Amino acid sequence: MNLFWNRLLKKPMAVAGLLVVVGHVLCALAAPWLINHDPYQLLDMPFLAPNGQFWLGTDDIGRDFFSRVLMGGRLSLVVALVSGALATLGGGVIGLLAAYKGGLWDDVISRAVEMKIAIPSILFVSLFVTGFGQSIVVLAIVIAIIKMMGVIRTARAQGLVLVAQGFVMAARLRGESTIYIVLRELLPNIMDLLTVEFALRTSSALLLVSTLSFLGLGLSPPQADWGLMVHDGLQSIHSQPWLILVPAACIATLVVGINFATDGLAEAGGLEASRGIAGH
Amino acid sequence: MIVADALSMGYTDVDACVQPVIHEASFSIYPGEALGFVGESGSGKSTLARALLGYRRLGGVFTGGSLRYRGLELTTAKPEALRAIRGLSIAMVAQNPLASLTFHQRVGDQILEVLRCRTGLNPEAAQLRMLGLLERTGIQDPGRVALRYPHQLSGGQRQRVVIAAALACNPSLLVLDEPTTALDKNTESQVLDLVSEMRQQSGAALVLVTHDLNVVARVCDRVLVLKNGRIVEQGPVRKVFSRPGASYTRMLVEASLQIDPSCKPPIRSPGAELLRVQDLNFSYPRGSWLFKAPAHVPALKKVSFSVARGDVLGIIGESGSGKSTLGMILAGILASPGCQLLWEGRELAPSMRQRTSDQLRRIQMVFQDPLSSFNPRQTVGASLERSIRCHLGLSAGRARMRAEALFTELGLDADHLQRYPRKLSGGQQQRAAIARAFAAEPDLLICDEITSALDASIQSQLLDQLQQMQSKRSTAMLIITHDLSVIWKMAPRVVVLKDGEIIEQGDTAQVFMQPQTAYTASLIRAATSAHDLWKF
Repeated sequence: MNLFWNRLLKKPMAVAGLLVVVGHVLCALAAPWLINHDPYQLLDMPFLAPNGQFWLGTDDIGRDFFSRVLMGGRLSLVVALVSGALATLGGGVIGLLAAYKGGLWDDVISRAVEMKIAIPSILFVSLFVTGFGQSIVVLAIVIAIIKMMGVIRTARAQGLVLVAQGFVMAARLRGESTIYIVLRELLPNIMDLLTVEFALRTSSALLLVSTLSFLGLGLSPPQADWGLMVHDGLQSIHSQPWLILVPAACIATLVVGINFATDGLAEAGGLEASRGIAGH
Repeated sequence: MIVADALSMGYTDVDACVQPVIHEASFSIYPGEALGFVGESGSGKSTLARALLGYRRLGGVFTGGSLRYRGLELTTAKPEALRAIRGLSIAMVAQNPLASLTFHQRVGDQILEVLRCRTGLNPEAAQLRMLGLLERTGIQDPGRVALRYPHQLSGGQRQRVVIAAALACNPSLLVLDEPTTALDKNTESQVLDLVSEMRQQSGAALVLVTHDLNVVARVCDRVLVLKNGRIVEQGPVRKVFSRPGASYTRMLVEASLQIDPSCKPPIRSPGAELLRVQDLNFSYPRGSWLFKAPAHVPALKKVSFSVARGDVLGIIGESGSGKSTLGMILAGILASPGCQLLWEGRELAPSMRQRTSDQLRRIQMVFQDPLSSFNPRQTVGASLERSIRCHLGLSAGRARMRAEALFTELGLDADHLQRYPRKLSGGQQQRAAIARAFAAEPDLLICDEITSALDASIQSQLLDQLQQMQSKRSTAMLIITHDLSVIWKMAPRVVVLKDGEIIEQGDTAQVFMQPQTAYTASLIRAATSAHDLWKF
């Protein structure tokens, strides 16, 4: 473990990324105690410039903008984390299943993944939202499904290598069940890969949540959310540019931070393949 | 010609520290001689051989001493200077001929490329020279072979092509790194003959890197024995092998398995019939689950034999003869409707999925690669206990005691149970795999090339232990191998496979001493001719 930290500390980008992520998470956790105004209270003073009382001014309908920015990351972070975890674990198990069972299973799973990838994400989300309503649970599940596809492919590729090995053969010869082999023999062997996948999928899920909120398909007003704030700030981009720049910067730093941190962590953990994974 | 003086080398690891690999090696290579580098895996012999071309693998560094080729200091030479000697003066033949030929180019063109880059020959002359080289390396019909791609050639032909390319510019030193490990015994024998012949014709010096003492005895004049990056002994082959000075060399020489006529294979009175295989035919399925296509060549044709309780049956044949396929069919990994198996007189389901858990327990298998046969994320003990609990239904505590008892019986420490497979040596891993197989208390143990991934010194020890375990429990064994000395040591009866057919079977002593077919005879000759050289 010491070796791991030593290697990590030699990578300034990774350390910077890690610090940014930790900062964001701490802010999100501590937000209810840090804010100095109710983020949902209308103050009858729209478009105030930043001042001593309202540190970032007020937004288009007169809510304290600083409080909203602090609170704005909480929901999207939760949604991104939940859907990232679902995507990684579900994708890992399904991908390994395809690799282990082969034949019909593999064909059905692989073709389904390809079909899903062919559908644009936004269209997929709007279908779901129309069908099941616009709630946080639906949002988390639909994003998990979208992000799962890449994980299935990576897990399947790794699984194919593992399945050919003697220890899997030995387990089959013991008469172990498929569930046991996938969960106990195969899954632990791709955990390092899945850890990286989890971080990457979470960061792209975060981006997707913000995009969807911006488009009106994700979280809905009056929720304090960065994506929604970017949307609202669009109208006043010339007069009050900070209303769009601050939430946009929050999204960008968090996503970039996660990517840098993941890259460094994976390398320090000795997973050379991470570069290839980070590419997409 | 080449003089190494206290040469030290190392590899840079992830933390930029240099791990020493070669410690103060001093030796010389004289024109026209054949020098063997011998050592077990990890002894640094390949690193040293590559250094002769001024080449280091990624992360490799020279850390001290000097290495001179005709006055040129190789450790500090500039890339241009090295380029001028590589291929022209010093050429190399790598271990795996398939990996050293590029697969998108015809083999003739690959040799022509060497000639074009290295000599100023015009195209016509180069073409003639290329065909001449192929002919010299014993390739029949060189004109046609030159137009083929590497995958269309056999392993032996590929290695001949690589040797031809290495000889293209008449080098004065040829470095061969494990040139025969990827080949079966018959082809190995031919390639070694070729190497000796080439050396006599061209007068080039040879450096032959190998872990196989028989190969050195056959080709080399002098030998250099390496252990953990140190030269422990060097001298003429005869002297070193007949009167080894270092204890390590003595151990290597004694451990090297031989077919010794004075020490006959074990004889056992056959018990009741355990397994009968009748007219077994098998073809690998082609196509997907949706579109089935008929297979072109059957892997096994009309194979029939039987194994008695407590019997040990050897199965030999060249690579591709179907011997591993046979093992996998008996274990139930591969199955086809044409497989007729009788277990104690009753029909045995071909696929392991249709077998009962008791039937699964009774047939156990040990695989070729010991590392991959254990889950890297579980301790060896966890794997072993899982197997015991699965097959025998024991409690966790009893399973643990059983695992410890098996480990002690195989000469392993009970502490090794808590280790992960990577933390064990190859021999320890394979012994753990044997322990796992015996943990199920099987009636039949299938051993598929279980020694081929191990060093010679460990091989014989492992086989001794396997033999003890087997005779104590009177388990029947099926030993699948290309190494005839393993069969000679272990198996009273043997089956010879060729292209999926049994061409000979009977008592090992009889089959080896009076082979009935030319094929068997050539297998035996390839295995023993090296051994005869031992006696001098």
